[in-house]
Amino acid sequence: MSCRGVQKLLQGAGSGPAGWTRTPCCCRLRYGPCRARSGPGSGSGPGSGSGSMNVFNREMKRRQKNWAAVLQDGHQYDYLREEVGSRVADRVYDVARSFPLVLDLGGGKSYIAEHLSKEVVQRLVLTDVSQQALKLGRRSDIPTRSVVADEEFLPFRENSFHLVVSSLSLHWINDLPRVLSEIHRVLKPDGVFIGAMAGGDTLYELRCSLQLAQSEREGGFSPHVSPYTAVTDLGNLLGRARFNMLTVDVDDVQVHYPGIMELMTDLQGMGESNCAWNRRSMLHRDTMLAAAAVYKEMYGNPDGSVPATFQILYMIGWKPHESQAKPARRGSATVSFRDLAKVSRPDGADQS
Amino acid sequence: MSGSNVWSRSRERLRRFPELLAQCADEAAVYGKCVAATTTGKQELKKDVCAKEFEALKTCFTNAAKKKTR
Repeated sequence: MSCRGVQKLLQGAGSGPAGWTRTPCCCRLRYGPCRARSGPGSGSGPGSGSGSMNVFNREMKRRQKNWAAVLQDGHQYDYLREEVGSRVADRVYDVARSFPLVLDLGGGKSYIAEHLSKEVVQRLVLTDVSQQALKLGRRSDIPTRSVVADEEFLPFRENSFHLVVSSLSLHWINDLPRVLSEIHRVLKPDGVFIGAMAGGDTLYELRCSLQLAQSEREGGFSPHVSPYTAVTDLGNLLGRARFNMLTVDVDDVQVHYPGIMELMTDLQGMGESNCAWNRRSMLHRDTMLAAAAVYKEMYGNPDGSVPATFQILYMIGWKPHESQAKPARRGSATVSFRDLAKVSRPDGADQS
Repeated sequence: MSGSNVWSRSRERLRRFPELLAQCADEAAVYGKCVAATTTGKQELKKDVCAKEFEALKTCFTNAAKKKTR
């Protein structure tokens, strides 16, 4: 491969049994035993250690991103990343600080930096697996250095960044606990990680339509939409990576398309094609036709368009530092809960 | 890979999909309702549960495709 200068990695800290699984959750509709052909089980088996989770073909993902980056009219597919990038930048502004050195993980054509100013971010390091995306990236007035690097192998020294941001690239990671530990490692103490990834219910309409259509037409179904992390797992993951003061919130972005084919074309143009190992490379044309009909009927809007939901999970985590607030010591309370009633009755009418 | 090959030709054919489907909106709606009904009703979703409706949809679709071909 190219000389990316991958640094000697520290042994992953999370060597305990993985309590986190990625579920390609079957749609919660009653339709009896499904004989999945290359069933969703392969994507959700818990890894016995840090290194054995291999759900996605990272080489394929790099090729897909390279292909999407050099498309002639690729900018028309950027709407989702721009939206999420601007929301992540909002969260960066919420932190009342300026960051001398910032890392943008999986930034692609860089959708966050254009919303940030030089007062907040002094220098930016942009990484992505796709070299073409970095070459054709957008310019901003923040001095940027681009590094081709896989998110799972960050070639940076520990304690080097004040802020790490990541927008819509963590949902293609094989070993998410390890990546979060890596992010924790490269952050300076009292550094912050602000990330956005596609989660849980993303594209559930597409998944369910394909599932139903394929069950009816072919008698079984195989996963076509990649598995996502659930919201509930995210807090645990960040905690296990030893982040402090966690904030996780969910945003649903719903985009309306004329039909299922336009949706799939846009996903392909965004570089978000499926690259899981367990995907089937073929979609039978009968199934495509059936899925289009089912999608429109089950989820269609009155005006004929169909919605697609992108559930974006935003997370903020801090690397521990002495200056951060700690839970108070037991027994150090100065007021009692019994006084709570007095707070709500300011006239002192009733002393309980 | 440039010029006309099997992938670019099949992509071209696939690009006509939405407009052809638009001409068969009624059959598509009937098929969709049939499949949606299996998710809520007592009937379980098995292979070819809605085969009749799908045949109608597919015939309409192929006819539309034949008509538009030069």
